Amino acid sequence: MLPLSCTEDLVHLPALGPLLVSEGVSDPPSRVEGVSFRRSARSAGRWLAAAAVAALGILVAPPATAAPATSNVLVLYSNERSLPANLEGDRGLLQTVRAPVDRPAMLFYESLGAPRVGGPAFDRIATAYLREKYASRPPRVIVAVSEEALDFLLRHRAELFPEAPVVHTGIDQLPLRSLAPLPADVVGVPVEYGFSPTIDLALRWHPRARRLVIVTGAAEPDRRFEAQLRNDVSAFKDRATTEFLAALPMHAVLRRLGELRGDAVVFTPGMFQDGDGYDLVPQQSVRAMAAAAGAPVYGAFSSHIGTGIVGGYMPSFEVMGRQAGLIVSELLAGAEPGALHLPEFTPQTLNVDWRQLRRWGIDESAIPRDAVVHFKPPTLYETHPNEVLIGTAVIVLQAGLISWLLVEYRRRRVAESAEKTRRLELAHVSRLAVAGELTGSIAHEINQPLGAILSNADAADLILESGTDRRDEVRRILADIRRDGVRASEVISRLRAMLAKHEVECKPFELNEAVREIESMLGTEARRRGLTLAIRPATGPIAVVGDRIQIQQVLINLVLNAMDAVADLPEERRTVVVSMESAAGGVDVAVRDRGHGIAPEHLHRLFDAFFTTKSNGMGLGLSIARTIADAHGGRVWAENGPGEGAVVHVELPVAGATGGPSAVSG
Amino acid sequence: MSETPLIHVVDDDESLRTSLLRLLGAAGFEARGYGSTGDFLLQPPPDRPGCVLLDLRMPGPSGLELQAALKRQGVALPVIFLTGHGNVASSVRAMQAGAVDFLAKPVKRETLFEALRRALERDAQERTRREEADQLRARFASLTAREREVVDSVACGKLNKQIAHELGIAERTVKLHRASAMAKLAVGSSAELGRLAERLRALTAE
Repeated sequence: MLPLSCTEDLVHLPALGPLLVSEGVSDPPSRVEGVSFRRSARSAGRWLAAAAVAALGILVAPPATAAPATSNVLVLYSNERSLPANLEGDRGLLQTVRAPVDRPAMLFYESLGAPRVGGPAFDRIATAYLREKYASRPPRVIVAVSEEALDFLLRHRAELFPEAPVVHTGIDQLPLRSLAPLPADVVGVPVEYGFSPTIDLALRWHPRARRLVIVTGAAEPDRRFEAQLRNDVSAFKDRATTEFLAALPMHAVLRRLGELRGDAVVFTPGMFQDGDGYDLVPQQSVRAMAAAAGAPVYGAFSSHIGTGIVGGYMPSFEVMGRQAGLIVSELLAGAEPGALHLPEFTPQTLNVDWRQLRRWGIDESAIPRDAVVHFKPPTLYETHPNEVLIGTAVIVLQAGLISWLLVEYRRRRVAESAEKTRRLELAHVSRLAVAGELTGSIAHEINQPLGAILSNADAADLILESGTDRRDEVRRILADIRRDGVRASEVISRLRAMLAKHEVECKPFELNEAVREIESMLGTEARRRGLTLAIRPATGPIAVVGDRIQIQQVLINLVLNAMDAVADLPEERRTVVVSMESAAGGVDVAVRDRGHGIAPEHLHRLFDAFFTTKSNGMGLGLSIARTIADAHGGRVWAENGPGEGAVVHVELPVAGATGGPSAVSG
Repeated sequence: MSETPLIHVVDDDESLRTSLLRLLGAAGFEARGYGSTGDFLLQPPPDRPGCVLLDLRMPGPSGLELQAALKRQGVALPVIFLTGHGNVASSVRAMQAGAVDFLAKPVKRETLFEALRRALERDAQERTRREEADQLRARFASLTAREREVVDSVACGKLNKQIAHELGIAERTVKLHRASAMAKLAVGSSAELGRLAERLRALTAE
């Protein structure tokens, strides 16, 4: 069996070439893949030496007929190319490798199969194999993926392709220094590895965790990880107690992890081999551990993201691949390896699994901005940016519109409230005006009892002067005086009630009674004007909720208007009738006169403010009447009577009736 | 003026009416109350000295209308208006129509009595004048038509001859008529006869 697995590929072809050879792997394929770069980087010193010998061999044996028209690139993997980490790196590489147009880049892939296979014999065979295989198409650039591949090349390069510069990728800074000094034509960007940032992050994200559980395996790379971790955790001894589950059988590991609770966090780089000696694929071992653990598991390699770990600081293999691809392109274009300006290292980035963040209740705001979040469901914006933008714009516009409307609404409310206050002021002024109009009647009403009181007092005086004993009569006189005094005071209190500037009330009152009071207020006025005022109350009591004074004001206003309307008419038409009838959902108070009626063109403007047909009117009475009726949930309208005159209706809701105000407040 | 005056109080306000009647009674007047102008008109006042205390504004026919009705019916009682809300126009009309006074309620006792005194005095004067006129008219009523003509002519200061000529009768006949008339009217001279005729004309004209 050939020691190397190889594929070849022409850059820009989308598909990778088939895996031509798979060598030296006795395990089933699933156990082969998943080897991390890190481990690989540590283990293949011998391989590199062997490869170098092989390369030297190729160099010694001049290349057969080459195909100068292509830029051959040999990608040498330390492990199987099919490992997830390698596939990621390869994806990055293919993204950036560019060759001159006249010499398209042809990519060949070879694998050393570390760490499963190796040894001096393998090195010899591999070197010879590579030298012979590529003798006719020597690579112009060699890419060494991971430490073992570079080590192999450094050792055997002279026997293989000494002319070809080597680009290394996926190698930690530290082991790279142990290989140094590198020849000038061996270039690459080292990777920053380190477990401490991940452990620190885990302890920060789980503040309740007091136990740090670290799982490592039994294989040689596993033990190296363990050693490094034992060194790293000393920095965290104040924050958590550390427990190592090192080189335990897998079933024991899973059981121990299953017993963990919220006071623990787990960190593992994965296992190559468990305590029972079984070879494992690190990625799959991590998957099993994450599934079993009762505590969050953090990992070390980006290929482990998606297995159930929360995440960790890890370099991206794809980024490394891209970086290597860029260098390869420069070299293919003719750049001198020593003249390249390369970054010092490829930094680790935090990779997290969105689903695990949710599972362990880690707040999204805790995720650093530069973290790579995997498996986060794409937002609607990411899937439908246009629709989302349009939708957002619509919502923003709508919100703006609504806010504007709310502001306008509020301003309107304030204005309306001010308007209402002004209307009430006007209502009061209007009552004063009505009182002014009624001065004559009011004077009469007060003067009648006063006159009686005066005459009675004079009579009593005379009776007493006369000396005759007429006590009974004097007593009667005094009773009359008292009665007239009450009568006068009633007039005054009624007047006061009407003229006082009072808070608007909302109380139930009896409408018939309120209307009868109007009769006593306006009866005198009617007599003074020589006209008939007839009140036709409803048959039963009518309960209305509202402000009694305001309702009376409305009716007084309407009656006075009606009186004005009939003032100049012959006696038999000088009649004003106030009647009450029940209407749908309320009571209809109608004020009828037998005057000339309302001109049709005035009917609809009658209740507008400042509309008047009187020479000395202000045009406020009816508009105030309407305001008051509206405020009581009623309405007021006018029409011409069937034969003559006008009728003004005031419809008010009745307490208890549907649609009418039933609640009593104040 | 042997009879005591009767004062008619017309006011629709019962309380006020009662108090007025009471006051007038206490002051020694005889008074009678009416609740409306109609009541008053339905009960024609007895032919007695007196006056009317009338509320200016009442339901039905007003005080002013009552005043006019009284005048039409020849009831010569003087009227005093009482008003709680008099205005210039109605007071002017009332006074023009012969009201004695126009009092604003509440009226003071002195003002009321003064007004009543004036009204009754005026009524008494009226009454005296009317009696004199009545007597004169009765005396003149006994004259024949011819005698009346002769008396009128004499009152105008005409001579017998002139009168005979105007009436187309003999001068002697004129003398006979004049003598008969002077006897009937109980006057002693032609001058006195003339004064008497003149007086009657003046009284009748009022």
